[in-house]
Amino acid sequence: MTWSQSRRAAGGGGGEVPQYDTPTAGAARERDSGVRKVSRLTWRCGLAGVACSAVITGALAYHADASTVAPHPHHQSGGIVIPATPPQPSSGSGQVNSGAS
Amino acid sequence: MTTADIARDTFDVFGTTAVLLVTVPRAAARARGIADDELASVDLACSRFRPDSELAVLNEAAGRGPQPISPLFADLLAAALRAARLTGGDVDPTCGRALVGLGYDRDFAQVRAAGDAPPRLTGPVGPVPGWRRVHLDRVGRRAWIERGVQVDLGATAKAWAADRCAEVIAREADCGVLISLGGDIAVAGPPPEDGWRIRVTDDHAAPPTAPGQTVTISTGGLATSSTTVRAWKVGGRPVHHIIDPATGEPARSCWRTVSVAAGSCTDANTASTAAIIRGPAAIDWLHDIGLPARLVRHDGTVETTAGWPRDDGPGEAA
Repeated sequence: MTWSQSRRAAGGGGGEVPQYDTPTAGAARERDSGVRKVSRLTWRCGLAGVACSAVITGALAYHADASTVAPHPHHQSGGIVIPATPPQPSSGSGQVNSGAS
Repeated sequence: MTTADIARDTFDVFGTTAVLLVTVPRAAARARGIADDELASVDLACSRFRPDSELAVLNEAAGRGPQPISPLFADLLAAALRAARLTGGDVDPTCGRALVGLGYDRDFAQVRAAGDAPPRLTGPVGPVPGWRRVHLDRVGRRAWIERGVQVDLGATAKAWAADRCAEVIAREADCGVLISLGGDIAVAGPPPEDGWRIRVTDDHAAPPTAPGQTVTISTGGLATSSTTVRAWKVGGRPVHHIIDPATGEPARSCWRTVSVAAGSCTDANTASTAAIIRGPAAIDWLHDIGLPARLVRHDGTVETTAGWPRDDGPGEAA
């Protein structure tokens, strides 16, 4: 009897444990056990991947926020604001000094 | 309007010199009154040398949970935390303990007058605690700092005050205004015909002929940071006030002076201070964010970024 035949004989309901009564039952159990292990491993890898993605996304977001790459638009939300026009050349003395105090 | 129409007022504040220029002479007295009120409020909120300031109270309460704060102090603290965030922590308000350790625990005139003093702290100071250990609840108007943290708002408060004064004066006195607080310059309102003419140099108190470059601006702010002016000696060692948060020591920079123009004086001062701390990496950073800046090495050679006008003048020996 195959696994599917066994399921039908048992009523075919989801979640029921298949029964084996042939000489191949041991092999079938091995196969099903292997399928379950692979399934569990796949789920774990998937969850680990999601967790790693979240960590990397968080780290990158923090870094981008901290280093504030705020390219040229005058008002980059939350970033350092560049002047509407850069300083223009002049000559002679100033009306005031910009220097350290 | 021409330069001849501009009224000028000079006065002392925050241990330095303020210059107030307005484009409507009859508005000069009103502008000065506004500036006096605003600056007195800022001093009461965030002076590190007044025991009655909100900053002194907050520092005293380190590790003891939330403290009530005024809206003004909330704005000042927010500006400092924003500067830290925008510079990846290079401009960090938790350098208070490092400055005290270097003897900068009173008005700078007194520090300088004291001469070569022994260090207040023995051994290496180490990295500053970091701005993420300062907590601000603007809606609830409260702030708290973690145990061992001492906040200093010196890197942003003066520039923020300049922005605030310029904005309020332009609006309430209805004129163009430039205010310089120790060389941190903010402008607002309609500028003079040819813009505001500014001499960029090491020391805000230098004579008009001091080495430097003259430029004009019409909006925003211009600030200069330097390791050469607010400098003193501790235990025979020359030190200055720009603290590298990574070491807790005065920054050892390849730049002696950095000037930056930005959309506000606060942003200009944030960037000029960060540039001193970042050293050679500051050039690419300023280029990338499009900030016009002028950086002077210790040998007087000059680099400029992002549209700052070429400097064809003679070299500047330190």
